[in-house]
Amino acid sequence: MSTIHPPNHLSLLIHRHHPHPQFNPPPTNKFLLSTMLLDLLDNTNTTTTLMAESIPNQTFNNFFESWIGEQNTHLQELISAVNNNNNGGNEHNDDVNMIELIERVVQHYEKYYKEKSEWEKRDAISMFTPRWRSNLEDAFLWIGGWRPTLAIHLLYSKSGLQLEAKLGDLIRGITTGDLGDLSPDQIKRIDELQMKTIHEERVLTEKLAKVQESVADRSMVELSNMVSEMMRNEDEGGDGDGVSEERVELTLEMKKEEMEELLHMADDLRLKTLKAVIEILTPVQGVHFLIAAAELHLRLHEWGKKRCQRPQ
Amino acid sequence: MAGMCCGVVGETKTQSTVEPSGGGQGRRRRMEIQQLKLFATAASNVVVPLPENNIKRRKVEGFDTNTDLKRPKTCENTSQSENTAQSENAVQSEKAVQSDEVLEKEGSRFGLTVVCGRRRDLEDAIAVKPSFCKTNSPSSDDLHFYGVYDGHGCSHVAMKCKDRMHEIVKEEVKNCEKSIEWKETMVKSFSRMDKDVTEWSNCASSSNCRCELQTPQCDAVGSTAVVAVVTPDKIVVSNCGDSRAVLCRNGVAIPLSTDHKPDRPDELKRIEDAGGRVIYWDGARVLGVLAMSRAIGDNYLKPYVIPEPEVTITERTAEDECLILASDGLWDVVSNDVACSVARMCLRSQEVPSPPRSPGSVLNVARGESSDKACSDASILLTKLALARQSTDNVSVLVVDLRRSL
Repeated sequence: MSTIHPPNHLSLLIHRHHPHPQFNPPPTNKFLLSTMLLDLLDNTNTTTTLMAESIPNQTFNNFFESWIGEQNTHLQELISAVNNNNNGGNEHNDDVNMIELIERVVQHYEKYYKEKSEWEKRDAISMFTPRWRSNLEDAFLWIGGWRPTLAIHLLYSKSGLQLEAKLGDLIRGITTGDLGDLSPDQIKRIDELQMKTIHEERVLTEKLAKVQESVADRSMVELSNMVSEMMRNEDEGGDGDGVSEERVELTLEMKKEEMEELLHMADDLRLKTLKAVIEILTPVQGVHFLIAAAELHLRLHEWGKKRCQRPQ
Repeated sequence: MAGMCCGVVGETKTQSTVEPSGGGQGRRRRMEIQQLKLFATAASNVVVPLPENNIKRRKVEGFDTNTDLKRPKTCENTSQSENTAQSENAVQSEKAVQSDEVLEKEGSRFGLTVVCGRRRDLEDAIAVKPSFCKTNSPSSDDLHFYGVYDGHGCSHVAMKCKDRMHEIVKEEVKNCEKSIEWKETMVKSFSRMDKDVTEWSNCASSSNCRCELQTPQCDAVGSTAVVAVVTPDKIVVSNCGDSRAVLCRNGVAIPLSTDHKPDRPDELKRIEDAGGRVIYWDGARVLGVLAMSRAIGDNYLKPYVIPEPEVTITERTAEDECLILASDGLWDVVSNDVACSVARMCLRSQEVPSPPRSPGSVLNVARGESSDKACSDASILLTKLALARQSTDNVSVLVVDLRRSL
């Protein structure tokens, strides 16, 4: 499994469907920014939409829908691989096939993050509240995607289910080879990975706090006051000042850059954690894990969509 | 002695150490995880399956070597292979662990696992100190020390207990003029441990722990402590808090400690007599805060929460199989009986449960050696069972093999 390709970018589990990404500017800023600033954000979105038309996937949303379809296909392949393995057969060939399959699935995740990263470069702000996700998925998000430690919890949960299913065998020392059969060494490495991931998550969470708090930094407060003063003067028949609009754009651009960096880092951590888990597992365990990940992702997405369609 | 421990701690700290007596102070803190397998040959590195007639001899010889316990030693063959078999990633720290921490002493066979589990902070710690001291009696028997500490508020009290408790107990044992009065000795030790923690928190100027040693947060830090001192003929269990010791004797689970929960009638009375109150707020809690009625630390809850242990002294019998010490991360979801039967079956199992084709796990333990791994297998399986049953806490499990050693 060491042959898995190096990471590109990252973030996976949870997403929403919304046909018109150019609407609804991020509501969080509503209270803090003047109408004019909001207008500017909207303009940014429009620009992005225009730019998007020149590339194959017109919106990330389109990309995501086709990616989900591919994930579904992969899930079926993963299931067949497990079934073949259970039916016996050539162990070595099975391993080779499973390793190849795992590589393809991981590359599929890489493709997701690569594309996501491109969109983040174009418009980090709107990628922060991805519109391809349902409200349900949205509620569980961490910096624009799934929380990296979810990978460990997913593993523990799936492992637990498989352990309890065959506890008698395991106590008697009969190996099952699935996730219920994690070796002491694997448990140890998972625990190490968990501690490391929690630490890295915390670093990014702190970083997020800094960026979010900077919404009320001196430059923003000064600027919002300036623009407000201007608007008041305009009401009284004074002159609008074109220079300040440029300044607004410049100031917001800086925030956007910070947000973009944060998204890249969070996505990196997501993909890195996913790969690290796979590294610890045997091929057949890796297949079980990827099945659990795909099932949780796909079903959560569907449940969220259904929920959105229900009259609230 | 077979030991396996998975302890991982935040950056550089260790939550579990395994080391023999005497090595005490200068121990490394950087060990992150270890899977140790010790065999009881104090003076040699040869693998010997501890025959009865060797025990006595080693007892005598063994102590002479205590003086150089700090010096690196290597493990016997099987443990080498098992150690090598572990994570290649952790090889460096393992090496350090092996040379400094793994010493071969007679009479202690154990396996232990500490995992963070579904929590975001690791506050549990385990200490294993084989032959940590000797009795003053003419036979000069070796005593083994096992402690499980489950911290709350922060990990520093549990860490302190891990580092210090066995040293304090050792001093107190040495202070005993003739025969050891275990109850008195242990009560005194726990009280000293508690004072140590308080003084340390007051004096320490800086700390990298979560509470940053700032009052009032720091005063709200404490730890459970369940300590078992195993002598050739007795098991002395001292408990403070809701970690637990369970003896597995001929397939029957015998609890050697009783959890200190605030709603235990005698504890409730004690707290109320002292002027405290137990408030039901997400379970029974002292002053609505702490969900246990005794602990090391927790200054702000004194005198309602006390560091005085309850001590049980159990005569060992030929039917004793193993002793399980664990934090509530295990006991909340696994009953004494289930834990006992799982551990027992692992000990009895001739087959070695190890996953096939596991990467980095070249474990290939021959049949005859499999029993040495049994304690590790038991501790890891119990840990996995706790995780499977959605334990929300850190999980620490220590399994001590009591067979053969009598």
